Amino acid sequence: MITTQLYQDYLSLLLKGDRIACSRIVQNFVDQGIEIKTLYTDLFQKSLYAVGELWEFNKISVAKEHLVTAITEGLLNLIYPRLFEKELKKKNKKVVISCAANEFHQIGGKMAADVFELNGWDSHFLGANTPIQHMLEYIQDVKPDLVGLSVSVYFNLPSLKKGLDAIRADFRNLDILIGGQAFTRGGKDILKQYSGAHYVSSLDELNTTIAG
Amino acid sequence: MKTDMAKKLGQATWEYVNEQSQILFFVLASDGRILETNRFAESMTGCRPGQKKFQDLVLDFHDSFSLDHLTKEPAIEHLLNIKMGSRLPQSFYFRFMTMAPFILAFGRLDAEELESMRKEMLNMNQELNNMTRTLQKKNTQLRQLNQEKNQFLGMAAHDLRKPIGLILTYSEFLMEEISVSMNTEQRDFLTTIQNSSLFMKKLVDDFLDVAAIEAGVFDLDLEPVDVISLLEKSLKPNRLQAAKKGIELQIIAPNACPQVPLDASKIEQALTNLVSNAIEHSEPGSTVTITLIYDSEYLVFEVRDQGSGIIPEDMDKLFKPFKKTKAEKTSGEKSTGLGLVIARKIIMAHRGEIQVHSQPGLGTTIRFTLPLKD
Repeated sequence: MITTQLYQDYLSLLLKGDRIACSRIVQNFVDQGIEIKTLYTDLFQKSLYAVGELWEFNKISVAKEHLVTAITEGLLNLIYPRLFEKELKKKNKKVVISCAANEFHQIGGKMAADVFELNGWDSHFLGANTPIQHMLEYIQDVKPDLVGLSVSVYFNLPSLKKGLDAIRADFRNLDILIGGQAFTRGGKDILKQYSGAHYVSSLDELNTTIAG
Repeated sequence: MKTDMAKKLGQATWEYVNEQSQILFFVLASDGRILETNRFAESMTGCRPGQKKFQDLVLDFHDSFSLDHLTKEPAIEHLLNIKMGSRLPQSFYFRFMTMAPFILAFGRLDAEELESMRKEMLNMNQELNNMTRTLQKKNTQLRQLNQEKNQFLGMAAHDLRKPIGLILTYSEFLMEEISVSMNTEQRDFLTTIQNSSLFMKKLVDDFLDVAAIEAGVFDLDLEPVDVISLLEKSLKPNRLQAAKKGIELQIIAPNACPQVPLDASKIEQALTNLVSNAIEHSEPGSTVTITLIYDSEYLVFEVRDQGSGIIPEDMDKLFKPFKKTKAEKTSGEKSTGLGLVIARKIIMAHRGEIQVHSQPGLGTTIRFTLPLKD
């Protein structure tokens, strides 16, 4: 259970850039047997949204926002092996997750990839700023059941559109899930042009979508 | 000095330059001696006023690149690589102003370069994170594959045991019952069948042991054991093997030893494997010495042979499955390549340690130590 107080402590340490103290908090949660998904949604996602908002309103510098992201990515790595500790029922399904070209914020996509793993999928995360051609070749190679595209910055929506066009041209029937903070200011309309492309607004919604 | 400079620059400007600024600021004498610095310059370069000349701080500062040259055009910026104490040197854009009798030097960081370096670092950090995750996932997959391999190995070995046992039993039966009516060639065939079946049985048993150990199905049954009796018992099969090759087995052990908690059958197996290995690498007429040392904290077993020894390059292979060393067995004995691996795993499971000392041409000593206290 992540109490408001613990969350606030974590957020404040995160903003101070205290990586070790943040790791300690996360390690304590893990030792107490917290569900990984809860950690993702109620600690990582929540704090990253809060930091994103602070950055948007010029309350923190871009450097601080990057520091927070780097610390959170390190924490994700800390608990990543635990994703595989439980005997998960394998679904024999593959997903390729990628950030749009020019999108350097990869942490949302990475967390989405982990939610897929937690649901028994084999997820392949391509990382930030993946060139479209590279993504297409990877999809061709792995032949996934689903592709996930993440875009965090509104200005990268045209890049996302290019990516969607390219996927549809080469893989007509491949299902696509799209997510990311870029859509908080709108832009979902562009997705209507693509059949089989769906928007998911949060990790919780993603979890429900793939678990169902 | 600071007061003079404060007067000249104005108190507020000086305070800004000294306390707040991210600019390196130096007040120099006409020959370059550093008379004053701001805090940033002092903390970055580790340079205190009066200690050095400005020229000493600059990498590759040469005579033709003189202070006169630097101060001639105050509007021109000079990119200088500044030594940063124990850190890596850093580039700064410097402007020099003459304020007689001093020279003022202002150095600013290249903001664009810093930003691109920061971005590059972030990208590298992301890539490193992603690679770490890929590696972690691959490791998990490898562990799972290894488990499946062990399960398969265990099942295959288990299923092979029965038919091999039958071949062995019937060949022994034939040897005992009708070998008198066979000719020499037929007896040789039967002996080959028997020896090969024995080897296969040993191989299958070793496979099962390795599969059980690696799968973690390796429970120790610790009970107080009379170590001297255990030593005698475990050497029984080795005595026959040694006698066949004309090798003497020498035992050095105390007359009595208190009972210690061990898994007797497993330690017996480890010891038999080590002694068997020593015999296989010994020439007829030589001696294999087994020493038992006991003290209140440790139990030490030592197996020493006078064989050809192990070359240093082969030391790493000794405890790896199926890795053969260059040391040849003196009578062409066959081995599964698993005996030492199993012995080591048994010793490790007892929280023990195994050490090998070998001198090519003189022999090998393998010693294992079992702790008797927690």
